Amino acid sequence: MSAATLLQILSSGVVTGGIYALVALSLLIVFKSTEIVNFGGGDVLMFGAYVAMLCQDYFGLGYGPTFLVTSCVMFALGAAFETGVLRTVRGALSPSRVLVSLVITTIGLAYALRGVVRLFSYTDEVRRLPVLVRGPPLFLGPVVLQRQDVVIVAVTLSLVAALFAFFRYTWLGKALRAASVNPRAAELIGIKVARMRLFSWGLAFVIAGIGGILIGGKIPITPDFGTQIAFLAFAAATIGGFQSLPGCIMGGILLGVIQNMVGFFVSSASIAVAPFIVIMLVLVFLPQGLLGGGSALKKV
Amino acid sequence: MLRSPGRPLLVFIAVMILATLVVPGRAPAYYTHVVNLLMVYGILALGLDILIGLCGQFAFAHAAFFGIGCYTTALLYMRLGAPFLIGMPAGAVLAGLVGLLVGLPAMRMRSLYLALATFAFAEAARWVAASWDSVTGGSNGLRIDPGTVFGWSIVTEADAFPIVAGVFTLVVISISHLVRSRLGAEMLAVRESEHVAMASGIDINRTKLLAFTISAVFAGIAGGVFALLNSFVNPDHFSFGTAIMVLTMLVVGGFGSLPGVLSGVVVIGLLPEVLRVALKSIQVWQELIYGGILMATMMFMPLGLAGLSRQMLGKARRANRALDATLGGTETPP
Amino acid sequence: MKYGILLAAVALALTSAMASSASRAADPGVTDDEIVIGMFAPLSGPLAAFGTDTLNAARMVYDEVNKKGGIYGRKIRTIVEDDKCNPAETNAVALKLVTVDNVFMLHGGSCTSAAVTIQSYVTRMKVPFMMLNASGDPALFPPTRYVFGGFGGTQGGIGASITQFAIEKLNGKRLAYITSDDDFGTSNYSAAKAAAQKRSAEIVAYERVPNNVVDITATMLRVRDANPDVIVSATYPQGAVLIAQARQEYGMTQPLVQAAQGITNPAVFARNVGDPAALKDFYYSSAAGDLIDGPKLKDAYTKYRAAYPDRTTINFLMVMGIPSAEAVVKGLEAAGPDLTREKFIDGLMTVNFAPPELAAPVEFGPDRHDSLRGQIIVKFDGVKSEVVGQYEWDGSRAK
Repeated sequence: MSAATLLQILSSGVVTGGIYALVALSLLIVFKSTEIVNFGGGDVLMFGAYVAMLCQDYFGLGYGPTFLVTSCVMFALGAAFETGVLRTVRGALSPSRVLVSLVITTIGLAYALRGVVRLFSYTDEVRRLPVLVRGPPLFLGPVVLQRQDVVIVAVTLSLVAALFAFFRYTWLGKALRAASVNPRAAELIGIKVARMRLFSWGLAFVIAGIGGILIGGKIPITPDFGTQIAFLAFAAATIGGFQSLPGCIMGGILLGVIQNMVGFFVSSASIAVAPFIVIMLVLVFLPQGLLGGGSALKKV
Repeated sequence: MLRSPGRPLLVFIAVMILATLVVPGRAPAYYTHVVNLLMVYGILALGLDILIGLCGQFAFAHAAFFGIGCYTTALLYMRLGAPFLIGMPAGAVLAGLVGLLVGLPAMRMRSLYLALATFAFAEAARWVAASWDSVTGGSNGLRIDPGTVFGWSIVTEADAFPIVAGVFTLVVISISHLVRSRLGAEMLAVRESEHVAMASGIDINRTKLLAFTISAVFAGIAGGVFALLNSFVNPDHFSFGTAIMVLTMLVVGGFGSLPGVLSGVVVIGLLPEVLRVALKSIQVWQELIYGGILMATMMFMPLGLAGLSRQMLGKARRANRALDATLGGTETPP
Repeated sequence: MKYGILLAAVALALTSAMASSASRAADPGVTDDEIVIGMFAPLSGPLAAFGTDTLNAARMVYDEVNKKGGIYGRKIRTIVEDDKCNPAETNAVALKLVTVDNVFMLHGGSCTSAAVTIQSYVTRMKVPFMMLNASGDPALFPPTRYVFGGFGGTQGGIGASITQFAIEKLNGKRLAYITSDDDFGTSNYSAAKAAAQKRSAEIVAYERVPNNVVDITATMLRVRDANPDVIVSATYPQGAVLIAQARQEYGMTQPLVQAAQGITNPAVFARNVGDPAALKDFYYSSAAGDLIDGPKLKDAYTKYRAAYPDRTTINFLMVMGIPSAEAVVKGLEAAGPDLTREKFIDGLMTVNFAPPELAAPVEFGPDRHDSLRGQIIVKFDGVKSEVVGQYEWDGSRAK
């Protein structure tokens, strides 16, 4: 096996890892602001991809307006889910039971999103979004890089950087964190926790939606592909410790590379099980992930 | 703390005996099949309730233990000729062992990491079943010839009914006792608050481990019975979808309540049959409806059917007392 | 506790609801005026597209037969159920059709797992079972008396046909074989391997790809390293698109032959791949007798559109439903006016015809219950399709 092949494996791993990182990001935002894991995260990504497909195949929009429209739709969906569904669920129960119910609700969301998408027979066929960036592939020595892939990585990295700055330096970002770490104290100092939650969910859905558009331009999509990506996103977020944004990136890239390595050196068939093994190993031996530290549960 | 299960359980046992005498041979095999399946789901759901409902451990590996029980029983029978009477307990024991092994690291994990890790385990187990062609038949599945139990040949649904009903009744009885036992109380304490439980002198780790193991054993029992019922199994029977279905039964029925869980099993278990008849022309809505049920239940009926009837009964009781008070005489406050 | 009573009431209700007895005549589903056929296919869920049109097409054939007076004066009545392409569901549906609706025979199944699941049951209950468009390999090899099928093309037939084409027409001596990591993959590979061995060709790379693969890099790099002459792929649409793309990305010049299961709609496939240059030296197989808009299938589509006008997108598997139903009809005719299930099975085993809808003739017999063993090979450049050959499997498999 040549160095060229090894490099190719690595670079492809980095690219796909970028996508996993993006979905992991969406999961992380939900987790940091509401301490639940959105088990419907993959299907939110799938939904975003199909919304984009609607924009492009049905309304004939270009990529620019597609991103805009999809983001708005996804934000509205996330906000509606929080205010319409989650708030009711939260209100109905004592705090000790709330976590389980919220997570089950996200599972319900996953089914509902798949159900809605399958209502349209257009989605029966496996389809792909048009290529994001046209042009011949780039060559870094012997390594082939699709322009699309470079864009994906670039977008992911810039999103992470933007979010990092957002959460650390802007008022809104800090308010979101405050609302999640200690809602009661946040209310006391004038932060409207309900509004913060709404914004968190909206933002998380937007990010997943963008991930959907990016990945939909790279691989063919079906109503079920979100569930597959979700496993990988969970693995990526777990490696990163479910704590930090850079953790997601690292987790995603590591996972993408590991998958490709396993696929090449072991067998193509074991690619499917790699993320699960990773999740179990990390959670058993390194529950804080590779970057996380300290308790991950919020104190009330 | 050891209230005996009492009258309702006896009524239940009586009904099961009656059903076993009446049902086989009288009803078309299709209906017997539906009831057989409901009982298997019942065992599954009750087992999961021990872990999630009673002990509060939000773990997702249940489907894997179901599969382990089923494949063990089936393989022992098909490859080694071991009769079902040996295979079914063996399957349950193996499932329990694996449950124990999973419980060991899992008991240290907190709720969402626990959910993730156990879910990953279940998926990895399914991958093994689907890839280990030489042993499990892989995704081709495994053919199971009809077996014999106590000398009787179990070929039709009606033949299997008494066995399934018998195992089911035993499971209900044992869970009934478990819930009311000291261990059951300890599990409940762990669910409510680990700190308080620890302070009361309960060994949390031991309790959790027992919950994992017992829950897995029941899933294994369900798997063994499933192998008796089916002539063919493949890994899809033990997928995330099955796990979600069992979870939904618990959610709709109400965690921690035995009759609640069983009502959940009946409702969710019969739902496909109902949808099959009612929705002939709009079958494509099924997934959407399923998701809707999950969300709506969490929003409006978070304690499940059990919680709902408790509420209604509570209101009924209060209304009764109000009436008594109005009609005069002394009344002790509720 | 009141719940015990609730539970008891439910159990009693269930018991009394089931107290109806099921009395059966010697051969259910047959009267002087009608034959009742229980049909099932995935009508909802992810594979609804595979089932709906095919089942409709079969019913279309039955409707036509009825218009002409039926078979020996008996009209065919169908009862339709949804199996959701799911073994548990198929089990339940089969039980219902046989024990509640008392059908004469079962005609259904677009998914192999569904077909295989009920094989023991139909054999035990001696109910004839004709598959719709399922591949059904595990239930057809070795053949058992009551199960017939293979109209979608068995995996054995597919694997062998594409391999034969790669060797005979494309002069492949070293083949890379990429298939799905499931029972289909195992089945098509064993036939492909046998076909290669018979023609002194070697499979130098054998890859099994998970069904919902996201990144095909590792697989394609292993293939590239093995240095094949021809790449043969039996993956599903997702994998098929990725392989076609990757072949171009890595500058691989070997021709690519893709099995039928990867191309559900050539135009959509081309669009998914994106760059037409990726479809240079690209071929795919089809179980149908012709291209979708080809002359041999024209009749079928015209009739179907007339009978089912609100099916706007017709799945390419629709045409399989026609020969599947025609085989049933021929079997019923061969059984004679004194119709029993056993006579029907005997009749089916004499069925031998060459429907225009299929790539090869249907030849049932005592040792052969799978109908279709051939495929046509189509050259596709993203715009134009052209049939370049027809190949048939001889039934052999390698370990």
